[in-house]
Amino acid sequence: MVLLALLLIPFLTALALMLARPTNTARHIALGSTIASLGLVALIWWSYVPGQTWVPVKFDWAPTLGLTFSLGYDGVSLLMLLLTALVFPFIIAAGYRQNLQHPSMVNALLLFTQSFLFGVFTAQNAFLFYIFYELSLVPVFFLLLYWGGERRRAITVRFFIYTLLGGLMLLFGLAYCVTQTAPISADFAVLHALRIPADTQVWLFWALFLAFAIKLPIFPFHSWQPDTYTMAPLQGTMVLGGVMLKMGLYGVLKFVFPIVPFGVEHWRDTVIWLSIIGALYAGIIAFRQQDLKRLVAYSSLSHVGLLCAGLFAWNVYGTGGALYQSFAHAVLVVSMLYIVGALKERTGTSELGAMGGLKGKAPRLAALFFLVMINAVALPLTQSFVGEWLMFNGLWQVDGWMAFAAVATIILGAVYMLYAYQRAMLGPDRWKMEMPDAGRNDHLYLVPLIAITLVLGLYPAPILDLVNGPVQQMLSTLTALN
Amino acid sequence: MEPVVTAIRQVPLEHYVALSFILFSIGLTGALFRRNTIIILMCLELMFNSVNLLLTAFSAHHSDPGGQVFVFFTMLVAAAEVTVGLAILVMMKRNVDSVDINQLNRLKG
Amino acid sequence: MNTTILAALVPGLPLLGAIVIAALRRSLKGNSAGLLGTLAIGSAFALSVMLFLGHDPAAGPYTAHLFNWIDIGGMHIPFAFQVDALSLTMMLIVTGVGTLIHLYSIGYMHDDARVSTFFALLNLFTFAMLLLVMGANYAITFIGWEGVGLCSYLLIGFWYTNPAYNYAARKAFVMNRIGDLGFVLGLAWLFNVTGSLTFTEVFDRVAGLGPDVLTGITLLLFVGAIGKSAQLPLFTWLPDAMAGPTPVSALIHAATMVTAGIYLIVRSSVLFELAPFTQDVVLYTGLVTALVAATIGVFQNDIKKVLAYSTVSQLGYMFVALGLGAYSAGMFHVTTHAFFKALLFLGAGSVIHALGGEQDIRRMGGLKGAIKVTHLTFLLGTLAIAGIPPFSGFFSKDAILANAFDRSPVLYALLLGGALITTFYMFRLYFLTFWGAYRGDKHPHESPAVMTVPLLVLAVLSVVGGLLNLPHVFGGHEPMKHFLAHAADGIGAERLHLEASTEWMLMGLSTALVVLVIALAHGRFAKKATLDPEADELPFLPRLLARKWYLDELYERLFEKPYGWLSTMFHRVGEGWVMVPLMNGAGRLTQRAGQVLRLAQTGNMSFYLFAMVAGIVVFLLMTLYGR
Repeated sequence: MVLLALLLIPFLTALALMLARPTNTARHIALGSTIASLGLVALIWWSYVPGQTWVPVKFDWAPTLGLTFSLGYDGVSLLMLLLTALVFPFIIAAGYRQNLQHPSMVNALLLFTQSFLFGVFTAQNAFLFYIFYELSLVPVFFLLLYWGGERRRAITVRFFIYTLLGGLMLLFGLAYCVTQTAPISADFAVLHALRIPADTQVWLFWALFLAFAIKLPIFPFHSWQPDTYTMAPLQGTMVLGGVMLKMGLYGVLKFVFPIVPFGVEHWRDTVIWLSIIGALYAGIIAFRQQDLKRLVAYSSLSHVGLLCAGLFAWNVYGTGGALYQSFAHAVLVVSMLYIVGALKERTGTSELGAMGGLKGKAPRLAALFFLVMINAVALPLTQSFVGEWLMFNGLWQVDGWMAFAAVATIILGAVYMLYAYQRAMLGPDRWKMEMPDAGRNDHLYLVPLIAITLVLGLYPAPILDLVNGPVQQMLSTLTALN
Repeated sequence: MEPVVTAIRQVPLEHYVALSFILFSIGLTGALFRRNTIIILMCLELMFNSVNLLLTAFSAHHSDPGGQVFVFFTMLVAAAEVTVGLAILVMMKRNVDSVDINQLNRLKG
Repeated sequence: MNTTILAALVPGLPLLGAIVIAALRRSLKGNSAGLLGTLAIGSAFALSVMLFLGHDPAAGPYTAHLFNWIDIGGMHIPFAFQVDALSLTMMLIVTGVGTLIHLYSIGYMHDDARVSTFFALLNLFTFAMLLLVMGANYAITFIGWEGVGLCSYLLIGFWYTNPAYNYAARKAFVMNRIGDLGFVLGLAWLFNVTGSLTFTEVFDRVAGLGPDVLTGITLLLFVGAIGKSAQLPLFTWLPDAMAGPTPVSALIHAATMVTAGIYLIVRSSVLFELAPFTQDVVLYTGLVTALVAATIGVFQNDIKKVLAYSTVSQLGYMFVALGLGAYSAGMFHVTTHAFFKALLFLGAGSVIHALGGEQDIRRMGGLKGAIKVTHLTFLLGTLAIAGIPPFSGFFSKDAILANAFDRSPVLYALLLGGALITTFYMFRLYFLTFWGAYRGDKHPHESPAVMTVPLLVLAVLSVVGGLLNLPHVFGGHEPMKHFLAHAADGIGAERLHLEASTEWMLMGLSTALVVLVIALAHGRFAKKATLDPEADELPFLPRLLARKWYLDELYERLFEKPYGWLSTMFHRVGEGWVMVPLMNGAGRLTQRAGQVLRLAQTGNMSFYLFAMVAGIVVFLLMTLYGR
């Protein structure tokens, strides 16, 4: 029942907001709802028994399709729930400074997204997963279409069609898998027990993986991402970069690894190299970006490339590290984008050329920016370091050259982040703008995020323990298969 | 029910099939080649009913009520279809003052 | 007190100091931030002394286990400190010299508006440096390793309104990161083959590894050391790092952080001993760096730049020692170098302070009368670095030279040549600064006591520091070597096969030559009144040296420019011409297909019906006869 409540709290709040359309209190209501969700997830976490898959909600929906409405969670799901629940209050709170039109609608759409994301991360049935997966795209579509920036129609439609195309492939692959079961069932438990012939798996892999490859996105399926991130309203980018791309990661774990293990084995090196190439490629591009938001988009692309490479390393360090990093990345994206928003609010632009020397006027904002940045470049004792460190070790176990190429991203990261920081914050004050320093609200927003980063960087055990069990279990099943 | 079923069974199945085929062909030909929309709708109805007839006949001969149940569904759908169809027809008459199907040629991509 | 708590407090206090100062930075007035910072480091020093006194080297390392940091799968990395001879030596240097430099900074940074931030960062640096030297496994060392890099970045760019300083800071960080690439890979490899990163466990398990693996791992670790300790080809960041305040140069870029690479190799001496090829690489890298940097130092006119190149050169000597397997000599030189180079930097800072910010030695001269304490201490530091007996530098440098002679006389000759060049440019610096006529226009004034007291203490240490490892020929028994031998296995294996008479001869030779060079420098520079020309007006060879062998220009052409170009090209061509059109192409293909297919939509109802029926018939026939 707790899981149903988890889905319903944001959903019903969103419906209420949509119908009643309160203008002034919409943000408060939405914030309250997300905090309630966070509390609920914390409760689930507190009562969680490690290493267990727990399916408390299950009833038939359309048995002929194998579709059951079953919700449950294991450690990995819980991690994803945790990051969704944790990040959303911040996403909603970011709206307080945005002054978008129709706040009730914006918040309703965000809450719908949250509800569907909870659905994605708890679904224990592949069709149900698919339904939530595609549903979550709908509110984001409207968010981008109505509140986006320049060229929003073209970019949104492109993004929508591209991700939908991936979804279609997923549906096809899924339908194929379900026809192989007898009696027909799309429950993950049944699908995971499926033994598909190895040569079928080789092509089935791409049918299942393409959707996630586009959603993440990894090179060369990434071309929707920079434009979309740049154009989207701040909160939209936060949702896309902070949470939605984790659906891709989670999907790989739930669909690709257990269902087509031979396919993964066959394509693993290809995927890892593609991801790493993408990480380097995006890292190099980020260096010369003029727009801070676009720079963040490319840096996210670079991080995600590394994430995917770690995931496909397919050992406890690589996969566990990627999961840990997905949590770190969510926090990082939200805090980084908040900084972008705060700078834009003060200077009226996100062009780096129009900034410079802001530290003199806003030393506290500069300090906050810096603290967020050290997480971005993965310095030790920040959360990102733990994830990247594990991934590097995981990749080394696969191949030394992979690790070499992956570690090279830490140089690129330092190059573009420090350069961006310098262009925005340091140097002489050329523009002589009047601007306020970071105030109470900015601190209320960023300090908790930075604290999470540092605390989990110093003591990562809570998250690591969560993923350790499920990942080890999954890997041991896979080893048994081979 | 029982007498009716017996009555139906007295006619061999082939006759029903032949009749349905004839009725269906008439309906199809009409639907394809007539231009009056009312006639086309009636032809559609004829095709429905030929199928209904066949379903009933099979149902009776095989002692399977499923076929008859299905007929009810068909009738229901047919009724709904006719409602929509006639509504369109009325609108058509109002707008283009004609019931010629070829007048509805603006529906192209 | 419990040793674990004691060990945790040593880095804990500077961290606490940094947090407190940073939190209260607005309300701290005057010298209070500096006093707080100095107090934190001073207490850490006191605790280090307590640990040192309580430590029994024969009992082996003491591990202070705090909690499990990363624990997943087979990877168990505890957050633990190791207290042994090596870490204690480094702790004492870091906190001891650190305290003096903090004290000095109170005077030096007195007028700066962001003095609290400065001390917070300096404390944070000390924390990171202590993590580096105290870590019980490579991962903790790596935390410190990156932490000192970060603080170095922040302190080099401390005066952030100057773009050149920011550039220098960024350059330092990125070059260090290139080194870190090697370090991280080395650790990943090490973990892959030994399944652990804890020093004691790793060293127990390496014996079974193949020589190729060990060579690879040690080379990667050495890449890390190159970046941090500013060796060729990654040394160009260190001279630029002089953009930071002078105490930063003294603490970070002379006494402590740059010796992290040496510490790493001494710590891993077990690995390096098993990889002779890497040892040779270390040796020759150090040798070339020592000579190249020394030659550049001769033609620099910025007082801090001269010292920076001298630091690079001295670090090269330390690496030579490590390459020769003379770890104790390397560590000994680390210690004495920390004393005299910190002294020289602080002395330079005092001169700069006295002249109100002037750094160009061509505008100095004749200062020995005006700033007496600074002059005296600077002279002692210069004598120490030149290697005049009985100053500390003589003993440590002689230990390295003796080991080099033991390997090959050519090596010895080269290193001796480097030492003579060092003597030459250091005395050039000294004479140009303190002798002759004053060529500047500002009125020099002596620094306050808070600055001169650290100078005096460091001067005493520079003079008597040699006693720490007094060699046998002087009647000593190398106490430092025996102390360290308990911690680093490589030291126990050291052998030096030189007759006492040979040693006496070598020492006599080097001392005589050094005195000769000093006389030469005196003749050329002591009474100099004219200014040296700018670098561009020099003849070819001196210009080449003054321009640092054009390395900066080379790197700019070779890496920086192409990288920027690559970034632009990837964005313009890769994204603009390939990736986005590819995706748009998919959309356009759909549109085209639609345009073709819409021709079928004629709008004729009868046609639709007909098509439908035809379709049904086709399907019907297919199901009937298809199979």
